[in-house]
Amino acid sequence: MSDKILRVATDVGGTFTDLVAFETSHDGSMNIITSKSDTTPPDFEQGVLNVLEKGAIKPDDIDFMAHGTTVVINALTERKGVKVGLITTKGFRDTLEIARGNRPDFFNLHYVKPEPFVPRYLRRELPGRMTYKGEEREPLDLSDLSNIIADFQDEGVKAVAICLLHSYANTRHEEALLEAVRHAWPDVAVVASHQITREWREYERTNTTVLSAYVQPVAARYLGKLADGLKSKGAKSAPYIMQSNCGVDSLQATSKVPITMVESGPASGFWGAAELGKLIGEPNILALDIGGTTAKCSLIENGQVRIMTDYWIERSRKSAGYPIMVPVVDLVEIGNGGGSIAWVDDYGKLHVGPQSAGALPGPAAYGKGGSQATTTDANLWLGRINCDYFCGGAVDADMQAVKKAIADLADKLNVSADEAAQGIVRIANNNMVNALKLVSVNRGHDTRDFALLAFGGGGAMHAVALAQELQMKKVIVPAAASVFSAWGMMMSDLRRDYFVTQLLDLSVDGADTMKSVFTDTQNKALETFKAEGIDESQVSFLRYGKFRYQNQEHTTEVLVEGDITSDSLKTIEEHFHQTYEREYSYRLSAPVEMVGIHLVAKAEVGKLTMKPEPISDAPASNARKGARHVDYALDGVHNADIYDGEKLQPGMTFQGPAIIEDPGTTIVIHPDNQVEVDAYRNIHILLGETA
Amino acid sequence: MNSDTITLEIIQNSLQAAADEMFAAMRKTAMSSIIYEVLDMGTGITDASGRIASSGAGIPAFIGVLDKSVQYIVSKQKDIRPGDVYITNDPWHGGVTHLNDLVLAMPVFSKGKLIAWTANIAHNSDVGGMAPGSLSGEATEIFQEGLRLPAVRLIKEGETDQAVMDIITCNSRMPDFLLGDVWAAIASVRVGAKRLEALADKYGVETFVKAMDAFMEFGEKTAKAELKKLPKGTFELSEEQDDGRVYHVKITISDDEMVVDLRDNPDQDMGPTNTSRDGTVVCAQMLFKSVTDPQTPANDGSFRPLKVLTREGSVFHAQEPAAIGFYFETEVRVYDLIWRCLAPHIPQRLPAGHFSSICGTFIGGIHPDTGRQYTIIEPQLGGWGAWEGCDGNPCIFSGFHGETYNTPAEISEARNGLYVDCMALNEAPGGEGQFTGGRGLVLEYRIRTENGFLTAGYTRSKIKPWALEKGREGSGNCVEVLKADGSQESYSFVSGLGLTTDDVVRVITSSGAGYGDPKKRDPHAVTMDVKNGFVSPERAAEIYGADH
Repeated sequence: MSDKILRVATDVGGTFTDLVAFETSHDGSMNIITSKSDTTPPDFEQGVLNVLEKGAIKPDDIDFMAHGTTVVINALTERKGVKVGLITTKGFRDTLEIARGNRPDFFNLHYVKPEPFVPRYLRRELPGRMTYKGEEREPLDLSDLSNIIADFQDEGVKAVAICLLHSYANTRHEEALLEAVRHAWPDVAVVASHQITREWREYERTNTTVLSAYVQPVAARYLGKLADGLKSKGAKSAPYIMQSNCGVDSLQATSKVPITMVESGPASGFWGAAELGKLIGEPNILALDIGGTTAKCSLIENGQVRIMTDYWIERSRKSAGYPIMVPVVDLVEIGNGGGSIAWVDDYGKLHVGPQSAGALPGPAAYGKGGSQATTTDANLWLGRINCDYFCGGAVDADMQAVKKAIADLADKLNVSADEAAQGIVRIANNNMVNALKLVSVNRGHDTRDFALLAFGGGGAMHAVALAQELQMKKVIVPAAASVFSAWGMMMSDLRRDYFVTQLLDLSVDGADTMKSVFTDTQNKALETFKAEGIDESQVSFLRYGKFRYQNQEHTTEVLVEGDITSDSLKTIEEHFHQTYEREYSYRLSAPVEMVGIHLVAKAEVGKLTMKPEPISDAPASNARKGARHVDYALDGVHNADIYDGEKLQPGMTFQGPAIIEDPGTTIVIHPDNQVEVDAYRNIHILLGETA
Repeated sequence: MNSDTITLEIIQNSLQAAADEMFAAMRKTAMSSIIYEVLDMGTGITDASGRIASSGAGIPAFIGVLDKSVQYIVSKQKDIRPGDVYITNDPWHGGVTHLNDLVLAMPVFSKGKLIAWTANIAHNSDVGGMAPGSLSGEATEIFQEGLRLPAVRLIKEGETDQAVMDIITCNSRMPDFLLGDVWAAIASVRVGAKRLEALADKYGVETFVKAMDAFMEFGEKTAKAELKKLPKGTFELSEEQDDGRVYHVKITISDDEMVVDLRDNPDQDMGPTNTSRDGTVVCAQMLFKSVTDPQTPANDGSFRPLKVLTREGSVFHAQEPAAIGFYFETEVRVYDLIWRCLAPHIPQRLPAGHFSSICGTFIGGIHPDTGRQYTIIEPQLGGWGAWEGCDGNPCIFSGFHGETYNTPAEISEARNGLYVDCMALNEAPGGEGQFTGGRGLVLEYRIRTENGFLTAGYTRSKIKPWALEKGREGSGNCVEVLKADGSQESYSFVSGLGLTTDDVVRVITSSGAGYGDPKKRDPHAVTMDVKNGFVSPERAAEIYGADH
């Protein structure tokens, strides 16, 4: 098979394990193979091997494989990790339970604080202190360690988490303790906070370390079995593992600190959005991924995804949740997907989500007993989704069930069925608009400077209405929108994000300090890459400083380019003032300080190259398969042209109102929209009079 | 319901989003840790007349403040124009709380018509007065507590009135902080106003106003529906305080009204623990909301069925020029008084007593590494009371604070130049029951330089958190100072106490109170309490009557 390059993405989801393979010939033409099989808990690796076989992919033919898995997030949310013992600094064993003390649900006097993942009797302390500057104030005293380990063993502890005060500034005590634990108890899983993050805030760091220890044996076992299984079938190398920072990492590195996979699911799609934007000359993108139960969105500026470390699980207006301080793509997720249930509260108000009908019973249209109307049912009722081509024709839409579900809701609201269905779509759209605003307008970005890129099963159905609301000029629906996340995985680099806290006053000459913290971190990154056989010449860096006005807390990231000198510090400072003013509408003359750095280190590992197809001169009417009445809610009811997505060719253009149907998704095009198919088969929708 | 109500609902959601955005903008840009970390701040949107329509996350105690401020501004200012921003902090001029809390409010216009206000409130680090941080236990008149801003215009049609800004900053010991925080507040009201203008443009003024009204009517309807489910009658309580005074409350619940009568209470005094009538009303509103409908967002309508009666000249309705710096400890007392009065009658809606004090702690001095002045201004975490079926929460903020965060030791050491020797759960006996109260806090600050100071005001020190159904009361709040010379003192109120190198300030907060007879506690739960070190085996045997 040497004449073709075979790249494979596999993704283990809750219900299905998906495969998308990209087979590139020498002439650049590409063949996409997709396959799906059941997820196979608890031996998830079996599902991966099954789906390869089903897709007729021989492991020994694979040139590059990326793998995404929800094993970490599932182990956390289902509480299926192992028993963890925590060792921390004297005086601070209760940090994990005290947490930050906030009560988000503040009028509720029966609020229940999230329970710590390690009970108090398994949280132990050792004397020894560093200062915030990283100087040793009191030496580390390990004399009690043997007792602690003996107690942990008696209690059946399976993983040890280590987090000491100020270890972000000086790792020496943690390293010594880590070594001592490994020596005294070689077969226990152990992780120290500095291996995961070098940022301050002891509760967040401790919780991150504890959660990493909690899932480590589970994840390591899974990844180990996956590697063995693939190897036994002849795979040449281990797969790369998708991470929450939009990159992939080696299987070996991931096994050591698996917590970095926690939000890898959405990350690949957003990375795909950034890469596609670069490919088609749209560097500023608002990316929207609508699935069955949630909608997620993220903003991409100048081709760069934004990576943050203030990620939380189980956090809401009702709960403080748990922080995980690892690099995660900056996204907002809301409980609004195709399967979200519409309901009326005690006071007659209509809501959509966050409860979802899931896969079973699913929307009423599935005919599997779902009796509550969902967003999908409303879209069917309004003719936006073709009831004769539901799920690409794979499912017969049960329109009787849809009618009844919508009618029930309409009765409660005392309106017609059409109005109820329109209401569902409008409320769902409004929820999504507010989520999109959180990542754009609320951060000082003008949505008119961005294109909306919509993917996932439901993205293209709502995209135009959302773009109208946000006054955006263009919507892009990528080719094969439903497997777009897999495509994103194929575009990923081996990428690591390093965050290091380092306080620095820019008014005194800090160039040397800044330079050395970047250099130290870069060297550390290079060392890691080198150990994996990746040469320095393949590695590239992006350097960001995190700045603020003196006495503030929250920081603004500024790209640091070129050599760092006293002069360039002035440029950096001015760049900070500008960025700050754009986001917050004013600037101050107060001194500026740096709080830390964010270093992105990446190396390309077999990423896909896309080749444009020739522009066809065939008219779009070749792909037109008919017309039907479609209710566009606020834009009225129109007779819309229906196009077969699989017959659309590069270069075709047409006007809305229209609907494009392909097996994975339905694209709703409003009146006055202008549609163009580009050379990579992406659909560009230009809105209103701007067309 | 018709499709038009969908539009109204969309506007209401957008108002909530705007209030949240105002909150986020302020948090990210503030200079003082009391604002950006402790989040001692609130944001809100009112209608043109100052009725609260929506509020951002944050502190429940601030939600009912902003409407009163805006109403005052509306009554005082006759020439309100687009682009204006007003500022107030004085309880007799719409300020409600104390002088540290600056309220900024901006009118929102659409097609030349005033349609709404955006407003925020935040605790500023120093607004002048007799003591650093502006709060002093020695104050006897408001004049000693800082600069009074009687609802004046700070920005006129977009142009900052530099004279006003200069007067404000010149009166602060920390002018840079103050300036940064005021600009954060300006950015916040402006971003909110921009969103509201866009909403009114899009949907039309009439629909916009209708949505606000409908939202408030919905709040009222919800509150009234829940009020009907409460037991009817008159409930009374007298409670002794740490200082020996006795507070009284009489609550009458009928089908469409709750009347909280606080007229029979001591006269205002010379100290700084008096509250304004508006402040007292806010306390009653908070508890009313928790009892009737804790789930939906609060607005003007939520509070309509509530009536509060106070007597002018009393501690709960102080007359000018009373000192009010520590108003919050008196407010949290009246809040808890109402809670305690109602709890035995509606135990399914109200848990046993919590540590119920702001435990306001103020430590200042010179940072040994930077030479700059530092000031810690923080409320503390403490234990919450148990209820039927559930142990109380350990270490969360009092009922006054909500989406508020404590300061990490790592950040405190860097920012304030002191050491945090420990931050732990308080193991002191107390709060036992069939369901136990949550644990309070032990927090130790070790001072690193000379010429520091401590000011603190804690209640529930002598009179402990109250239990329900034969549970045990909580352990009590206090602050101890362990001097470098080996001496040790315990305080509940202390003002400007000198601190020097190696002195340790130990903050101790109470456990919540227990619910139910300890003898009925699940033996497995008792075993875990012992194993986790929350109770000694001896005390477990004594209280729970089991051998552990």
